[in-house]
Amino acid sequence: LLRKKSRWLSRWVSFAFLCAFAIAATPRARTFEPVTGENQAIKVGVRRITESQYRHTIVDIFGPQIKINARFEPERREDGLLAIGNAQLSLTASGFEQYFALASSIADQVLSEKQRAVSVGCKPANLNDADDSCARQLIESYGERLFRRPLTESEILARLKTAAIGAKQSGDFYAGLKLALTSLLVAPEFLFRVETAEPNPTNPKQYRLDGYTKAARLSFLLWDTAPDRELLDAAKSGAIHTEAGLKQQINRMVTSPRFEDGVRAFFTDMLQFDGLENLVKDPMIYPKFSQSISDSAKEQTLRTIIALLVRDKRDYRDLFTANETFINRPLAAVYRIPFASSSEWAAYTFPQSSGRSGILTQIGFLSLFSHPGTSSPTKRGIKVLEIFMCQPTPDPPANVDFSRVQDSTKGTVRGRLLDHMQTVGCAGCHRLTDPPGLALEHFDGLGQLRTMENGSRIDVNGELNGVKCEGAQGLGKLLHDNPEVPTCLVRKVYAYGVGRKTEDQDERYIAEQTRMFAGSGYRLPDLMAQIALSPEFFKVVFPGGTRPRHSNPATKRAPLQKSGGKFK
Amino acid sequence: MSLPFTRRSFLRGMLSGSAVCIGLPTLDWFLNDNGTAFADGTKLPVRFGTYFWGLGLTDTPTGGTRWVPSKTGRGYEVMPELEPLAAVKEKVSVFSGFRVIGDGRPNLVHWSGHAAILSGIAPAASGRFDAPSLDTRVADAIGTGTRFKVLDIDASMSRLPVSYSTRTGYTFSTPETTPLALYTRLFGAGFQDPNSDNWQPDPSIRLRQSVLSAVKDQRQALMAGVSKADQTKLDQYFTSVREMENQLAIQLQKPDKCESCVPPAAPKELPRSASVDAVRANTKALAKLLAMGLACNQTRVFNFVHTAGTSETYIAGQSKIYHQITHDEPTDAKLGYQPETSKLAGLVMQAFGDFLMELDAIKEGAGTLLDHSLIFAFSDTGYAKIHAIENIPMFLAGGAGGRHKAGQHIHVTGESVTRVSLTAQQLVGAPVGEFGSGSMKTARPISEVVA
Repeated sequence: LLRKKSRWLSRWVSFAFLCAFAIAATPRARTFEPVTGENQAIKVGVRRITESQYRHTIVDIFGPQIKINARFEPERREDGLLAIGNAQLSLTASGFEQYFALASSIADQVLSEKQRAVSVGCKPANLNDADDSCARQLIESYGERLFRRPLTESEILARLKTAAIGAKQSGDFYAGLKLALTSLLVAPEFLFRVETAEPNPTNPKQYRLDGYTKAARLSFLLWDTAPDRELLDAAKSGAIHTEAGLKQQINRMVTSPRFEDGVRAFFTDMLQFDGLENLVKDPMIYPKFSQSISDSAKEQTLRTIIALLVRDKRDYRDLFTANETFINRPLAAVYRIPFASSSEWAAYTFPQSSGRSGILTQIGFLSLFSHPGTSSPTKRGIKVLEIFMCQPTPDPPANVDFSRVQDSTKGTVRGRLLDHMQTVGCAGCHRLTDPPGLALEHFDGLGQLRTMENGSRIDVNGELNGVKCEGAQGLGKLLHDNPEVPTCLVRKVYAYGVGRKTEDQDERYIAEQTRMFAGSGYRLPDLMAQIALSPEFFKVVFPGGTRPRHSNPATKRAPLQKSGGKFK
Repeated sequence: MSLPFTRRSFLRGMLSGSAVCIGLPTLDWFLNDNGTAFADGTKLPVRFGTYFWGLGLTDTPTGGTRWVPSKTGRGYEVMPELEPLAAVKEKVSVFSGFRVIGDGRPNLVHWSGHAAILSGIAPAASGRFDAPSLDTRVADAIGTGTRFKVLDIDASMSRLPVSYSTRTGYTFSTPETTPLALYTRLFGAGFQDPNSDNWQPDPSIRLRQSVLSAVKDQRQALMAGVSKADQTKLDQYFTSVREMENQLAIQLQKPDKCESCVPPAAPKELPRSASVDAVRANTKALAKLLAMGLACNQTRVFNFVHTAGTSETYIAGQSKIYHQITHDEPTDAKLGYQPETSKLAGLVMQAFGDFLMELDAIKEGAGTLLDHSLIFAFSDTGYAKIHAIENIPMFLAGGAGGRHKAGQHIHVTGESVTRVSLTAQQLVGAPVGEFGSGSMKTARPISEVVA
């Protein structure tokens, strides 16, 4: 109870701070009243789209020939997922500058002389002047894809004005059109997912997500991109609100080749593989390391996941034990195995004698969770617990004396960590985090196999939450059989899809979904489809300040008010 | 009709006559008639920057200090870890003994220290601030007349870009991390040479302005019915749009000549590595470009990160990173400190010395760019081994256009770090009368360093 209380208190305190600070930070901002009156849509979430969603959306809408050369604003991980942290993010001035330059470059490419016949379905009456009717066609059609809903008349008129000014000033219809397209591409309605709830027509006292918000949730979860025409049509017709219509869309999406994009995006986030993009290693210690190794390592693990879980529809838990994978030439050099294939990637199965066991023992995980010059059982152990078992490790205590920990040029890391485990204040966490990491110690900071460190034989006895194991293969088996592992995946897929962390009131749902996941033989596509189909996936959660008096009983965050018909 | 006292006498009386220091904005009244110089003749513009490095400096509980001078005021002795600053010592004030007061909040390791210095509050959680960072207030006050309101730079070669500049507490700026990227931003497309004789306004700028008007037209419709938290996000978005508009408006004006501006050639990309040498080279190359960007009046406010809080730098060939060494290295009983850690801290200060020297190398009027700048440098911890947030090393470097009485050592035990933060903001004319929250709320700048 105390814990709960303090959690609420801290939430309240941070909320109060944020509010106070929102007002303080924007002295010139007007105060916006929430919509009042019944039967009005309200906005329940504003989430910045990720770099990968941006890239996929642009390719889907404008074609794969469009080059996207830009640096995106950093994303933010919270509770293990960027999808949760990003929901808090806005756009800074330097970030906006980047998006602006990128938008201009995309508009230039889409409306280049070569491309414009394909991109624009009409021809202007006069090449050197504005043409509202032709410009409107493009703005409406691309606008709907970018904003993930039809544009309002006022949104169209604003862009028509831009197109006309541009055409007249430069004497070129397409120059004006480029400006209009640029303005769609830098609009908050594109860069942020604005989620909207509307009164439910079958029960006007309840709210539901509107069709376009539902379509975007499905599409970003299953495809990592904006909805396609068919999905937008299902939103427009209302089919998405019916069980049959929703099922039909989900089936279509899960069986589409684009589903692989969705799965890749989810695992890139869950495995925290964004960190591989700028990984550095000391070249004196790991001369084989390069950016191409870390790019290849990321690709290796993602390919393994797609093949195992999507194409072969195997048990999710096999990720920790199956040694079927793919390698390319740079990786083969690090794994010290021959690479004879003439294609870029070749299927490869690690033999039992390699000591490897599933994705935990691939270079991606092993090198990411290490130091530039050494392995790190602590980092690896923390990440095994956090990523696969949803067990976060608290920050280390501030006032700790590490003096017992000695020279790294002697003995193995086990001896040095034992010092941590004996120091009061460290022991509590290190006893949990280090033992799984120690089981992976036959792989150095780059993921290369070794059996000795500083002349001493490495002992790979480990432990996972109190159960003993030996080496990576022992750890892989423990993870495979641990019931918390599938539950954690369910939790992460749901949190990723709805953009918020799970709370106490979600526990029954998570347990139910986990049972269904087990029933399906732990098949990932089934899990993602069943979550997308569940009413909880579209549950309306009212953020502070927008709460209507009548709201869904499921929404615990906003207690029901008994009377009144207005928004509070 | 004449006033009973002149503007000059008022300034003299207020700024140097007594120990009382008033936290007031730079009012027009302080300036001469055409606003180009302070009334005492000091030239504008003054630039402001923060400079951050991780893992503090060495000052052990056993008394083995390697950076706190024993003498206070002017003429402080150059301590071993401050040796690299010796050449510019007269332009640097050293602040020791200040601490973060958490008011019951935990010491979030490698986070609470600089978060408190920059935002005035020890934050509730790691990874975010509970108030905007102070550079944003300074930028609002002095940064609106240049192409970039504020420039963020991260030399650390960390896995993820490091920036501690935030308006919302959640969203942090995107820093430039390589010399080529910084060069492109400052001197690539959009740069207008202030000393060019055939300046013409770029007609495409007006067209870009119309792109932004379409976005802004929809603001009210978008804002209707959103929650407070989402309103904060969208407000920040529209602030960014306004900054872009401002940037475009500035590019339509003929730039003032800048004597010291000599646009550099494009730099070569440096190899990506987090070794101490590589990060120092990156710091120096970025500092050189930044200095010229300041001299060419492209920005007046910047944030510079040398290394992250948990610095991952290493000495090439050594398996442990700096951060690990600070914790693992035993204290040498004879010396009273950790020799390897102290050596690394000295290397960090070398990079800071390089940084200041780049600013000092550019002549401006009778002095240098550094004389017309104020650099607020600080770390996340005091003694890193125990994550101390007491005695966090802080420096104010540069003359702030004559307002900073530099070259002093100020030692106050146990007072809040925010006093130095407040002083920094006031020295460059930000309209900030008080700074910080709870026990760290202060309206008392360090008057000894204010001219």
